[in-house]
Amino acid sequence: MKSHILSSAFATVFLVAVGLLPGSPAHADVTISVWSHEADQPAKVAFRELAARSVERAHPGTHVKITWYELSAMNAALRTALPAGQGPDVFYLEPDQTDYITSGYILPLDNLINWNEIQSWARGPRVEGKTWMMPQEAYTVELYYNKAVLQKLGFTLPSNAQFTQNQFLALVRKCRAAGITPIAEGVGDRPFPGAYLVGESLLHKLGLGDYGRLLHGQISFHDSRVMAVMNWVKQLVDAGAYPKNFMTLKLGESHSYFYQKPGALMFPVGSWFIGRAFAPASQGGMPAGFPLGIMQYPAIDKAACNECKTIGIGASFAINAATKHRDLAAAFLNTMSTPEMGQRWINTVYEQSAVRTGDVPFTGPYASYFAELQERQKGEKYFLGLPVVDTEDQCRDAWAQVMNAAFPGGLVTADRAATLMDEACYRRSH
Amino acid sequence: MDPDENRAQPSIRDSYLGRSRSEAHQTAPGVIASLIGPAAFIYVAFTLYPVLRTVWNSLHTVRAGGLTDWVGIGNYSEVLTHDPFFWNAVGNTVIFTVVSTVLDVAGGLLLALCLFAKIPFARLLRVVWFTPVLISYVVVGIIWAWVFDYDWGPLNMVLRGFGLDALTRSWLGDPRWALWAVMAAHVWKWLGFNMIIFLAALYALPGEVLGAAELDYCGWFAKTIYVIVPMLRPTIANLLALSFIGKMMVFDLIWIMTRGGPLWSTETVSTYVYKRAFDWNSFSLGYPSAIAVVWCVIILAFVVAMNLLLRRSKPLEF
Repeated sequence: MKSHILSSAFATVFLVAVGLLPGSPAHADVTISVWSHEADQPAKVAFRELAARSVERAHPGTHVKITWYELSAMNAALRTALPAGQGPDVFYLEPDQTDYITSGYILPLDNLINWNEIQSWARGPRVEGKTWMMPQEAYTVELYYNKAVLQKLGFTLPSNAQFTQNQFLALVRKCRAAGITPIAEGVGDRPFPGAYLVGESLLHKLGLGDYGRLLHGQISFHDSRVMAVMNWVKQLVDAGAYPKNFMTLKLGESHSYFYQKPGALMFPVGSWFIGRAFAPASQGGMPAGFPLGIMQYPAIDKAACNECKTIGIGASFAINAATKHRDLAAAFLNTMSTPEMGQRWINTVYEQSAVRTGDVPFTGPYASYFAELQERQKGEKYFLGLPVVDTEDQCRDAWAQVMNAAFPGGLVTADRAATLMDEACYRRSH
Repeated sequence: MDPDENRAQPSIRDSYLGRSRSEAHQTAPGVIASLIGPAAFIYVAFTLYPVLRTVWNSLHTVRAGGLTDWVGIGNYSEVLTHDPFFWNAVGNTVIFTVVSTVLDVAGGLLLALCLFAKIPFARLLRVVWFTPVLISYVVVGIIWAWVFDYDWGPLNMVLRGFGLDALTRSWLGDPRWALWAVMAAHVWKWLGFNMIIFLAALYALPGEVLGAAELDYCGWFAKTIYVIVPMLRPTIANLLALSFIGKMMVFDLIWIMTRGGPLWSTETVSTYVYKRAFDWNSFSLGYPSAIAVVWCVIILAFVVAMNLLLRRSKPLEF
């Protein structure tokens, strides 16, 4: 009995001594926790894990632990953890999530990130004159098309790659008459794709300033310019522009709908589309040899800005205001933002990066695609943020239900859609 | 020995410990606390506290930095008088609850009566009809989303096969049909549960009453309506109440199949609360908490009303 007590006491003293020894591993080890989305995209997982290992090598004794979440589950977890003073050191955010800024849960990054490496237009959103999120992914809203089908229909893409309103309507009608779905699109599981065409058309008509005012409830949806665009889009809808299962077709299904099941002429989607398209065909990617082209959204009559286009920041990261390891958290973000990592992002994830990569020419099997994309973006003026990101609260919900789904789905008239949008957006601001 | 004297005698051990027999049989408060404590802790931590905190939240708004402002009944006033989306959600929830409950309970009773009547393959059918109860809402939602798919869903394919193309629909994409489509999926999942409960109740009925009815040349239909159903009244009342409460809080299936769309036609109170709490650009839980409290009160009122309606003044005699 006595020896048992003595040995226990010795063991206890030994363990405490080890714990108190300066430089002992248990005392110096630091773990940075990161919550990230997009676990289903292996290239992004590899990218961020690579950054984590780089931080660990550069800072011995530091461990970077990335927990992968599905997006809505992560948002729900953040909304419970952060008010409780917990949560990870670094976490994934999207630019529309400004409530994390106004609620004081994330740190301003102006002095923590090397902004020289980030595209200047991507440095947003700025609140109180500060930058709060580090952008990783950028995309533009593009209109992809099947070159072979366009040729089969007897149409030639203009030199500026932009049809007029009348030409576009004629194209849709001829396509439907030929038994081909003009636009592959579905809103079964996303709040934004159905609104690409009407959104870009409104952007062309109104220009950068007034389009923003429309989305923020400062211009009525019954404005004559808005109604002109919506009435034209209604003509497209009535001409059968969208698939019959538009309301329930999922985003992933719309990709294969465009390629070959059953195949369509056009596919309005963000340029992040290639993240799926360039995956192997066996994993849902584009078939080899698919005649992919990029056209501009139609030129709207009497438009303020037919060269305008929506650009968006996708994946971004923020630092928890309650973190105890601010510098290490910033090191993780900076590691992901070097020109080399930006180039790696483009070459492995196949998406545009918010990081400056210099004038390195595109190489690899998809060089011609990137070259065409670059061509389509020359001279463009950009509106930052998708409507579903730029709007808030009830207006955002209405945009998803009406402009994204019910209006292009043919469930409501242009006038009714404008009324519903005004009830949610315009009248709430006045 | 006098029995009373015997009861007053402590045991040898109690005598050694200096305790009387009555003292020895009293359970120590500490023992009681240690037995009840864990359950009480779990109840307080995961039921009572969240409820009280929700009520507290509903009386406040949350500003930046987690600071709260007392607004009293401001949130309640907004919910009840200035929120058409809330009332739309209430309407959808009421329709969903009433129709699904009636179909669930009536359908379960019908299936149970079929099994009670020992139809062919009754044992197999019991398993088949009960299996959907074991499937999670996620799987049920995925299955039925496929069933209702416009292009390759079995429902539209069967209609096309019979030349009824005009009847094909985008069932989940049409505001006139989406709620009914979700109801169909929900009823399919829960029919088997009610069936099992009714079946157990049927087998518990007194055989002599049923035998007496048969002796009086009572046919199956009359026996069901005039003898069996009245005796199943307590079971029916309980299942109606349970079904009602469950469906008033429906969330999972709606969220998976339609997320409240199209055009808010399947938006229920639960999905609306979730959106206000987690999808909107706000950390303030005050308003969605007020919606949750209002709905809780409404559900309680309906349950009390239902109990009063279904309560019998005289017990059944048999």
